[in-house]
Amino acid sequence: MSANKNEPNRRRESGIDYKDVDYLSRFIGPQGQILSRRRSGFTAQRQKDLKQAIKRARHLALMSFVG
Amino acid sequence: MTNLYEGMFVLDNKVVRQGWKAAKGTVTDILTKHAANTITARRWDERRLSYSIKGRGRATYLIAYFELPKDAGPGLNRSLELNESVLRYLITRVDAIPATEAELASREESDDFVVPAPPVEDAPAPVVEPEPEPEQAASTEDSEAADAAAGDSETETKTGEPSGTLEPVAAATVAEASTEPASSDETKTDEGA
Repeated sequence: MSANKNEPNRRRESGIDYKDVDYLSRFIGPQGQILSRRRSGFTAQRQKDLKQAIKRARHLALMSFVG
Repeated sequence: MTNLYEGMFVLDNKVVRQGWKAAKGTVTDILTKHAANTITARRWDERRLSYSIKGRGRATYLIAYFELPKDAGPGLNRSLELNESVLRYLITRVDAIPATEAELASREESDDFVVPAPPVEDAPAPVVEPEPEPEQAASTEDSEAADAAAGDSETETKTGEPSGTLEPVAAATVAEASTEPASSDETKTDEGA
């Protein structure tokens, strides 16, 4: 078993916060879609964190789902 | 065994207008009811929602950090779902409280801190139909009168045409009807012969 699987705290230290709407909106397309890794330039783990943060912000109506 | 959580609560502005302390108390009371140890709770922001929730266009956000027993999560969720003053909520597990959080929370607790009242709800602008200008109204009346006159003439011609053509056709059909039985009988007899 790898060490990374048992360290969820490391994932939280990535620094992407769902409350930072200005930062998150940089990775949103014109119609509200999350940009791909190719366009965001993130690593796989950081892209997952970005996705999670955007979805949390959408749930709290901090960001819109569409455009 | 307790864990540290961050809770973000979207509060109805109608409740916030009645008093921020009372609105904040509704959330903190729910937390204490479920054996949570509330460390900090403060007003995060008041802003326009990206989409309306329960018909509300604006809401106030409250952020709280609290310790909660592991088995108290479902009960807390249920209480928050049933409370009408909480429009939405999000509870996430965190490792530590941010460094600035304690200072911001204590600033809100001080007496000189004034919570700004939420602005008036963003009501949609009433739709007002523009009145037609007098010249356009006159021209439309004229055109309507012209259309009506043209329509009358058309109806006259339409009603006139069939009356002229129907008579000979009707006469022909009557003549055929009178002659047909005889001819059909003849053909039958011919075939039989």
